[in-house]
Amino acid sequence: MYKPESYEFFCPIKFSSGSRALENIPFELEALSARKPLIITDKNVTRRGLVRKMITAFKDSGVTIGIFDGIPDVPDMQLVTELSNIYRNGEHDAIIALGCGSIVDVAKVVNIAVSYNVKILRDLAGDNLMAHPLGPFVLVPTLTGTGYETSKFTFIEDLTFSSYFLMPDLVVIDSRTVRSESLQTTVATAMVALAHAAEAYTGPGKNPITDAYAYAAIQYVKDNLITVLTKPRNKEGRLALVNAAGMAGCAFSNMKPGLIHILGEAISAMFHIASGICMGILLPYGLEYTIQKNGYHTYDLLLPLSGFDEYAGTAENLKAEKAVNIMYEMQQDLYKVTGKKIPRTLEEANVPKYMVNDIAEKVFKDGAREFGIDDYRMVLEHAWEGKPMAHS
Amino acid sequence: MGDYREVQAGSKPFKRAYIAVMLWFVGRAIQAAARVDKAVREEFEKLPEGFTFSLGVQPHGPYMIVGKNQKGRVKYLGWKPESKVVDLRMAIKNIEAALLLFTFQESTAISICRDRIDFDGDLPPALTVIRAIGIVEVYLLPKLISKLAIKRYPVWSFGRKYLGRIRIYFHSILGY
Amino acid sequence: MRIQDYYEFIARVRIVSGHDVLEKIPDELKKIGATKPLIVTDKGVSGVGLVDVLKNALGEKITIAKIVDDVPQDSDIRIVQRLAKEYREVGCDCLIALGGGSVLDTAKGINIMVSEGVNDLMKFTGKGVVKKALKPLIAIPTTAGTGSEMTQAAVIEDHEKKLKKLFVSPFISPDIAVLDSRMTLTLPTAITAATAMDAMAHAVEAYTCLGKNPMSDTCALTAIKLIRENLLTVMKSPDDKNGRLALANAATLAGMAFSNSLPGVVHSLGHSVGSVCGVPHGVCMAILLPYGLEYNLHKNEQLTAELLLPLGGEEEFVKTPKHLRAERTIYFIRKLNQDLHDVSDHRHARFFKEVLDREGKRMVPRERLPEIAQAALGDGTVIYNPEDLDLDDFLMIIEASWEGVPLDRSRIKKG
Repeated sequence: MYKPESYEFFCPIKFSSGSRALENIPFELEALSARKPLIITDKNVTRRGLVRKMITAFKDSGVTIGIFDGIPDVPDMQLVTELSNIYRNGEHDAIIALGCGSIVDVAKVVNIAVSYNVKILRDLAGDNLMAHPLGPFVLVPTLTGTGYETSKFTFIEDLTFSSYFLMPDLVVIDSRTVRSESLQTTVATAMVALAHAAEAYTGPGKNPITDAYAYAAIQYVKDNLITVLTKPRNKEGRLALVNAAGMAGCAFSNMKPGLIHILGEAISAMFHIASGICMGILLPYGLEYTIQKNGYHTYDLLLPLSGFDEYAGTAENLKAEKAVNIMYEMQQDLYKVTGKKIPRTLEEANVPKYMVNDIAEKVFKDGAREFGIDDYRMVLEHAWEGKPMAHS
Repeated sequence: MGDYREVQAGSKPFKRAYIAVMLWFVGRAIQAAARVDKAVREEFEKLPEGFTFSLGVQPHGPYMIVGKNQKGRVKYLGWKPESKVVDLRMAIKNIEAALLLFTFQESTAISICRDRIDFDGDLPPALTVIRAIGIVEVYLLPKLISKLAIKRYPVWSFGRKYLGRIRIYFHSILGY
Repeated sequence: MRIQDYYEFIARVRIVSGHDVLEKIPDELKKIGATKPLIVTDKGVSGVGLVDVLKNALGEKITIAKIVDDVPQDSDIRIVQRLAKEYREVGCDCLIALGGGSVLDTAKGINIMVSEGVNDLMKFTGKGVVKKALKPLIAIPTTAGTGSEMTQAAVIEDHEKKLKKLFVSPFISPDIAVLDSRMTLTLPTAITAATAMDAMAHAVEAYTCLGKNPMSDTCALTAIKLIRENLLTVMKSPDDKNGRLALANAATLAGMAFSNSLPGVVHSLGHSVGSVCGVPHGVCMAILLPYGLEYNLHKNEQLTAELLLPLGGEEEFVKTPKHLRAERTIYFIRKLNQDLHDVSDHRHARFFKEVLDREGKRMVPRERLPEIAQAALGDGTVIYNPEDLDLDDFLMIIEASWEGVPLDRSRIKKG
């Protein structure tokens, strides 16, 4: 029986999700005392007609909006400076990030720049160095996320900023803007969410509030990912996946990164594979490792994964194993429905075997000491080969 | 910079016009129903004399204003809230939300549950108004549609429903 | 779990939970740049020494500007006005509310007044009228029930004019909720039972009423489970710190759930019994909950059935055939009331005719039931109930719950 102990939790985000959600933005901006938002996005999003939808949503509100759609895939600080000038010269008083990934990273950093001073921006990189809240920040995500959009983190160049003030005030998930670039990005978005949520749910920092966010995320990915891949027009499913990504980001902001996250990010950086794909591969192995190491609350994972009936009908000592098996099955399904485009093992992801040791060493050397180097190596080896760990 | 532009958000004249007509009609129908239907009359009897409420769309309307005059008669008071003292303001957050409500894709209850309507004023009169609008909807709309607009379709006598419907339409159109 | 066609969810309150977390308050205050708190509490709380616990925990690090401990059980606009004046006179810059629902509502009211700089609080009644950030407010609940540390609403009464005003805005909710097991450890068992059932009602109604959404669902499920697993054990051994903290967490989760998906008929009637006869809110909730579920059963069979898992446990859930689960859920709530009745020396009431005041007189006389039903018609929560209710429906439910007999389901009107 799990009892909540000492913990802290914070999530300032208001979620607004579903039909006609975009049209709520003018109202919500007014509640944030903002009258002239700057929309930050990229050419891809504009081309897909989402900027036009956004403008339509503002009709009848009497609001003037600024639109900047030149965010590149790899943005730099130069761009942040330019955007802060646009923000100031255009007398904007709120930022709306329309899209995911680098768009959101830039938007968050610009928000720091305009609330503080752009010159001292570098000094604010790090953990919790911002002392006061930033300007109003709205996120309108698509289905091409990195998993950090709703989190307290943002990355630019070699800098990482971390502060609860970076979390959006409002996340608007509208079925009309929830689009995906490709099968891979859909899977990557969903799997980061699943991995983060699963680690929040089973990790040492488990608490009932992160659980609430994690539970919904796990369930939505499990119930909708395959459906969305086979029927990309399924609106409800896409909506659910973006919700999952948003909620997992909140959970992730309130936990210590787990093994799957640490290794996934490392492999992603070394081999330029989307981190969601890496975490997707590592997920069942990481969970098996947790079961062997301390068992934590892996058995509980079965509830959001399988639903009430199956959870209740499974004997206590088999629950964890069954949860892991569902993850393995999911890997197989993803492999199948995407025409083998989603790797199931590190080998299929073209990570050379001889590098396994290097990854483990690098992760350890870079300061992730929560787990031992042998633990990293063991998980990586199994994930490379696709060999489940023996249950003990 | 070429990537930056400013846009003046335009307007949605047709949607606004539709909502304006609907509000106008519902306002007059409430006035009529308060004369014709006993249940609506009783609902309004609970409200104090001179009580005025408005229902409209944020931020620029359209609106309807209905009030009870000193003699206790319920009157449609037009569509300009500016010069009036309003006791209860019900504001739909945006025109799309109003459209969902007035095309009966969402019932009043669901619309409130989805946080699409703001209230400024006391709750008991707001509920009175919502119940009255519910009854008016049963009068105005065919069963198939009004079933979507309210939670429980009432069992009414033939006379109340059909004669009432004719009288309310008649009064609403003529406006007395 | 299907995703709702549209939903909103917000829980901006920072939660700090544990066995000795009051000590973290000075740091938390520092983070938000506040230094001089006004501590608002009531005589009951200060009487059992909780104010001293708080004072010790704050230590030297914080200068308490002032402590006011005379907020009554049913707070009132005049008290809010008086305390707002004191806040200004002493020059405070934040509020700490230590107590139950009434204390917290009072603090929320003070906060609106001092932050908006007005002398007339009533300008801000309604939904969405408070439109900007208020002063820092820390809530330390001393009952594990109301969950008002998580809500965006405050109810302030005007006894003179006999008005009850509702204030709703995301800015009203506290900045931080501190759940410290020491704060509920001394709670008498009868109140423990009633407040826990209050949280239970929040969770169950949030899960089964019209405003439900994925986040409030998961909060509700966890809250119900925590109450089922801990309430009776805490009743039997009130010093169980872990159990107490679990109940406090359940109340907060339930608050999070019902603040985002408002409750229905159980609350409409519960509020009215409270205002007409002065019965404590938790007691009303415990009694009415099974009746609310019964009334809505024809619309909510599936959702009610799902609640059997957190309420009855896994074995029970598997054992019960699908079509019987909903009724079994209702049975378990009645059984919980019965068990609480048994372990509390019959102080936990199962139906309204059992509710007695200090002199042993019935608090809810039978002849006042029509008045209660009438008042329920004016309660906002009616909107969120899946099935409509008219005066007769309310009367039917309140009569059955007075007598302690299940609803005659053939009398429920289905449109």
